Parts: sequence; structure tokens; C-alpha cells
Amino acid sequence: MGASDYFPRVLLTVEQYHKMIEAEVFHEDDRIELIEGELIVMPPIGGPHIQLVNFLNRILVERVGDNGVVSVQNPVAMYPRSEPQPDLVLLHARCLRSRKVPTVDDVHLIVEVSESTLAYDRGIKARLYAKHAIPEFWIFEPTARAVTLFRDPETSGYRTIVKLTGDETISPLQLPTVKLSLHELWLED
Amino acid sequence: MGAMDTVSRWKITVDQYHKMGEAGIFRPDERVELIEGELIQMPPIGIEHAYRVNDLNEFFVTQLTGRAIVSVQNCVTLPPRSEPQPDIAILRRTAQRYRDRLPTSADVIVLIEVSDSSLRYDRDIKVPLYAAHGVAETWIVDVNAQQLRVYRKLVSGAYSETLTLTQDDSITPTLLPDFKINVADLLR
Repeated sequence: MGASDYFPRVLLTVEQYHKMIEAEVFHEDDRIELIEGELIVMPPIGGPHIQLVNFLNRILVERVGDNGVVSVQNPVAMYPRSEPQPDLVLLHARCLRSRKVPTVDDVHLIVEVSESTLAYDRGIKARLYAKHAIPEFWIFEPTARAVTLFRDPETSGYRTIVKLTGDETISPLQLPTVKLSLHELWLED
Repeated sequence: MGAMDTVSRWKITVDQYHKMGEAGIFRPDERVELIEGELIQMPPIGIEHAYRVNDLNEFFVTQLTGRAIVSVQNCVTLPPRSEPQPDIAILRRTAQRYRDRLPTSADVIVLIEVSDSSLRYDRDIKVPLYAAHGVAETWIVDVNAQQLRVYRKLVSGAYSETLTLTQDDSITPTLLPDFKINVADLLR
């Protein structure tokens, strides 16, 4: 039992979190995200995760072109108490020339690559993104060669959840000309 | 397995906590303690609790002026990840009188917690924390039972002696061997 089993932990706001960053409370290399007021340690990522993030980055940047901005492992502010750092975020094109931390209104699509954190991503992250009306959320599982699409956000969660394991072609709802065929993503073993 | 089991919460260090304080992250009236890396929201102080703390303060200041420093609801730093605010800390009177640094466990003669609603927290979290950090002696004034609980004699990071005292008993702090206190004076 810890202290927080007796009294509540202090829940931080996005503003407090930004002040902490400005005051250099964290080291540059610290992997932290603010989730519902709590500072969560992002687990270290392995080779398959890195490879897929880099590969998705490459093809998304090529195919999105001037129609959006691909933001890799950067934060999205979700006021009042969250600021996750998804693996990839597809932002509106206007963000290319903005110095502000992107907010939920700037997001077309959030992508997470998931190995050890699948339960966390499917549970807490999906609920958080739906609550903030992120239009679409994709989870890629490189080991299982699967992608799950979360669409139609409602306050309690995404209404449409589709898991694909074949060689389908997928497109972001808000950028339908961008096409990814799943067979191009997975490496031969 | 719950979703939160796959990730862990960030543990805050004393240095980070101080930076947060300097950056004005907490409201001045916010009651926060750093316990094992967690920022804990302390409940508001009730009338009985405030009365007891003030009364103990008056007693110890009167008895110990010039011999020890009585620090009320201020922090004691227990690096690397804890900085609690005990209700009363009776501290060694150093030349600088803590002008230049925060008191640490080595400075403590006795830490006292006044427990009304917080007895379990004080007993199960605070007392073991203080022992693990080498605080020589911790007392809990148990308001509801009208008892003084004494924890002392450190053996490998835990208190080996626990006493439960009432009105008719007396107690002498280990580190102030000529200061005999009637327990009735602490429970009045």
C-alpha cells in the first residue's frame, strides 16, 4: 500500500505541466506523458516499434504532402489534464507554421504502435482520445500484424472499432486520398 | 490485468519537487506532501486538529526555548523522493537554525503527528517512512483514543519499540534524556 491508497494524488493541469517543463523539472530524455492529471512513464520502445514508426512516418509524409503535418512522438495538449505523446499524429496543414503545442482541434488522426502497451493503448488512450473527440485513432501491432481502427468518437469511447489483419487498404477519414495497404507495412520474417 | 498495470507513474524527486515549488506550480494554500515520489493531497485541517497542534506547539516552545527548535507544519526533507510535513518537528538547535537548508532526518529529535481522521495514514505510511529514513523517534497523538503512540529504537530501518501511553504515563525523548514529559500535557 502506498500513500495514495489513503489520500488522493495531486492531479496536474496542462498549464502546471507546461510550467514544469519550463522550469526544467524534467530531463530532456525523460519519457513522460500527462494522462488525466498523472505523469505516466512511457515504456522504452523496442526495435519493431522503432522500425514501424519510422516506416509509417516515411510513407505518411510522402503521401500526405501539403495536406497535413506528420508529427512524430510529439505532444498534443488535451485540456484540462492530459498531454499525451502519441507515436504519430496527423495534424492539419496549418500547424506547419504554428509554434503552439497542437491541441485536439488540430488533429486528423492519432497513431500508436503497440507492443507491450496494448492494454493501455486500447483502454485508457482510446477512451481519452474519444473523450476529446479525436476523429480517428489507429493502433498498429507489428508482432500480430494487425491494425485496429477506432472511429466515431463519443464521450464514453469510440463507437466503431474494426480490427484488420489481412491486406486491406486503409485511409484516414479526413484525408481519404492518403492510402496505406497493410501488406506494405509488415516485414517478412 | 488493468490498463494501468502496463505503465507506471513518474516518481518525483525532492529536487524536482523544489523546482516545482519555485516555479509556482502549487497554490499557496494547497496542502501537498511528497511521499515516495507521489504528490499527495492532504485533507483540510479540522478544528480539533488545529487546536491540538497549537496546544502542542505552545507546550514544546515553552519547555524547549533555547534548547530545541519547534517546527510546526513545515517540511522535513527525506531524499531522494519524500518531503513530508509533520505536524510538529522537534529539531536540534543548530548554529544556523535552518536558515540555509531544510531539516533532514538527522536533525530530528522527535516528529509528532496529530491523528484524528488520518490515523491509518500516519501509522501505516508516515511512521514506516520516518523509520526508513532514520528519524530517531516518532509520536502519534491519537485524538480519538486519547493516547500517545511512541515509535523508537531504530533497528535496520524500522522502529523496534512501540509504546501506547495514556494520561497517567510519562515519556522522555531518547535524544533529550533530561526532558521528562507528563503524557497528560500532550493530551489536554
